[in-house]
Amino acid sequence: MRRPRRRKVGGAVPLAAWLWAAGLVAWAGHCRAGERLVIKGSDTIGAELMPPMREAYIGQGNDASFEIAAEGSATGLMALMEGGKDSCQIAMSSRELSATERLRVKMEGLDFLEIPIARDGIAVVVNARNPVACLTRQQVEEIFAGDIADWSAVGGRAGPIAVYARGASSGTRSTFQKMAMRGRDYASGARKMAGNQQVAAEVASNPNGIGYVGLPYARGRDLRVMRIDGRAPSAESIRDGSYPYSRPLYFFVRGQPKGQAARFVEFVLGPDGQRVVREHGFVPLDGAR
Amino acid sequence: MNEDESAPARGSQVGGHQGEVQAGGEGGLAAALRGSRRGRAFLLVIDSWARTLFGGGAMVAILILVLIMVFLVWEGAGFIPEHHRSLVLYRRTGQEFVDAIRGPLVEHQALNRYLSRVRATDVDEMRKRGVGEAEAGEWLAAFDTFAANFRAAGAPLRSFVDGAAAVALDIKGRSQGWQGSDAAREANRLRELLPGATAALGEFESALRASMASVPASAGRGSEHAWARFRDMSGRLAASIPGAVARATAWDPDRPVPMGESLSAFFLGRRWAADSEWHERYGLLPLLIGSLCISAVAILVAVPFSVAAAIYVSQFATSAERGLIKPTIELIAAIPSIVLGFFGITVLGSGIQWLSGQPWMSWVPFFPVTERLNIFTAGLMLALMASPTIFTLAEDALRGVPVQFEEGSLALGATRFQTAVRMVVPAALSGIIAAVLLGFGRIVGETMVVLLVAGNRLEIPDFTQGFGALFQPAHTMTGIIAQELGEAPGGSLHYRALFMVGLTLFVMVLMINCATEMVLRRFHRMRG
Repeated sequence: MRRPRRRKVGGAVPLAAWLWAAGLVAWAGHCRAGERLVIKGSDTIGAELMPPMREAYIGQGNDASFEIAAEGSATGLMALMEGGKDSCQIAMSSRELSATERLRVKMEGLDFLEIPIARDGIAVVVNARNPVACLTRQQVEEIFAGDIADWSAVGGRAGPIAVYARGASSGTRSTFQKMAMRGRDYASGARKMAGNQQVAAEVASNPNGIGYVGLPYARGRDLRVMRIDGRAPSAESIRDGSYPYSRPLYFFVRGQPKGQAARFVEFVLGPDGQRVVREHGFVPLDGAR
Repeated sequence: MNEDESAPARGSQVGGHQGEVQAGGEGGLAAALRGSRRGRAFLLVIDSWARTLFGGGAMVAILILVLIMVFLVWEGAGFIPEHHRSLVLYRRTGQEFVDAIRGPLVEHQALNRYLSRVRATDVDEMRKRGVGEAEAGEWLAAFDTFAANFRAAGAPLRSFVDGAAAVALDIKGRSQGWQGSDAAREANRLRELLPGATAALGEFESALRASMASVPASAGRGSEHAWARFRDMSGRLAASIPGAVARATAWDPDRPVPMGESLSAFFLGRRWAADSEWHERYGLLPLLIGSLCISAVAILVAVPFSVAAAIYVSQFATSAERGLIKPTIELIAAIPSIVLGFFGITVLGSGIQWLSGQPWMSWVPFFPVTERLNIFTAGLMLALMASPTIFTLAEDALRGVPVQFEEGSLALGATRFQTAVRMVVPAALSGIIAAVLLGFGRIVGETMVVLLVAGNRLEIPDFTQGFGALFQPAHTMTGIIAQELGEAPGGSLHYRALFMVGLTLFVMVLMINCATEMVLRRFHRMRG
């Protein structure tokens, strides 16, 4: 009886030692993380553009480890405001700073730098089975605000319109609200989806669905991109501004970026980065070769 | 715990504290008898250590629970004054005034939506009756003219409201740096709009009544009811306009808002609009109703299956069957909920959609289902998640029924089925109820699956469609917290509203657990 008990008591000391050692290792790892690049924010940028950008960057022989979290522009901007350098170095955003964010940056004296990295169109998509091919901007506003609730009102087959919007943390959501809806509230029946991909998947499965996604996401057998006022979104129509719903995508950093972050930003803005932008369906910046 | 493990199996089956202490004492005694005096002293030291350790663990658990409660209440309580301030602002900057004028317009929009549903019923009706192409076309043309007229009746009022809303938004934008006299001056800007509003509303009323004079005849008996309802609702809308005028006239920016309204607007609010430039609304009802609908579906599906399985396994199954069924069902609990959610979207959701589109299913009134993310799918997934909980606990309760009950019943000549249904199940009923309640608690609190599968529409389901409402998307209390907490700035009204939702959820689950506890206590008293 006594033996096993003794062994158990003795076991506690090495256990504590192990825990302590593990903690030490974790702490040491934390200290080393200065080399790591933490990028947070927009789903539009983070899901489609950042992974190939990272590959290209590392492919050029840069030794960096990335941590990318793409849960919506607001999350990245908030992390950049609140955290120190460890929690977020670059915030991706598909919109400019909101009024409250600008106020906060000013009040806390944060040195925010806004760096446009690409342009992107927001495509209005419907199910491929939907006969409607073109909408006016007025109609888009009325559909997303809930004034028009049936496809027959815009020349389609009768059926209740199912609006798929993005969740509240999305920059695409608020950009679209400003650009396409004159800042009006979304219809109360609008579904809130977590990402571009989810909007695309649901619209593809629902014959009465309509939604908006970043242009690179607007592909798939069961999806159709709407022409707006007769204009389809494309690299040309976005660059010359004839497609109404286009916007710049941004990086936000605090102060002049240094070290790894500076090199990465420079890479993204350089010819190689802008090539990645083009290859993945976004529109490069004007000055880019 | 060594003592416990070595304690002879004859130790009390009750478990619990009493059993442990007894077993510990016994083990220590045996060792002391065998060992030296020093050994016994050592044992006693260990004993007191163990007591401190375990007691400390329990204390920490209780402490953390209290901390969570304090934290929730602390963050949530700030909501009440903050929300009150927002409601005061809503009144002072004239949003309330504009919304009073806008009210009939919102109703009018709902009627327009209803009208397109009536059209669909009518078209259906004509197809059923085999009406000729020409006649149907003629009828549709008449209908569309009417619908266009009806819609156009709202246009002048809408443009007026748009103008007034712009003024109110402008006032709101400048309300930050207000001095005492500014508010009154700004309010006058809106008051000057009142004659125009009265006129626009009057015009709307007459246009509405005029267009109602030419309602087309219904296309058949099947849609007569829908038309009657439409007439009724538009009559009521026209009659409600003087009320809107009165509300707009009575608007007074300085009338105080009672504190209680802050709470009632939360618990009875029908709209949740967090990112609204106009006025942020935090109404719990769409979330609460969504959560309850999904839970109801889940419970209705999970209970019969899992209780039946529990009865089977405890009463009829051979030990080999039991060895197969029990671990399998319990394995469901081991599947990560994100995996289940993914399954729910791609397999179950699409499967139900496909099934409802089959020709032989077309007799169901609300099929085919257009939305694959809906209340029903989410309910089914949650039923799957809750069934291990309900099954395991119900099975335990059933097996806890003393074997003498069963033997007595069998000896009196009852069959196994009669014994199970009339003897064992009633004896274990409170245990089964407790199992169901705990399963319910699990369902209400589940987050990931509903976030992925429920469709996240912030609107109360349209119950006028009967069971069709089950195939509409909904949002839930857990889902909204998961979705929006990440972007709500700390300390903002939105953030606090989410905490209020969390607090409500916590109280709900707490009440369910208390109910379970009460039921179980009764169960023990009966057994004891």
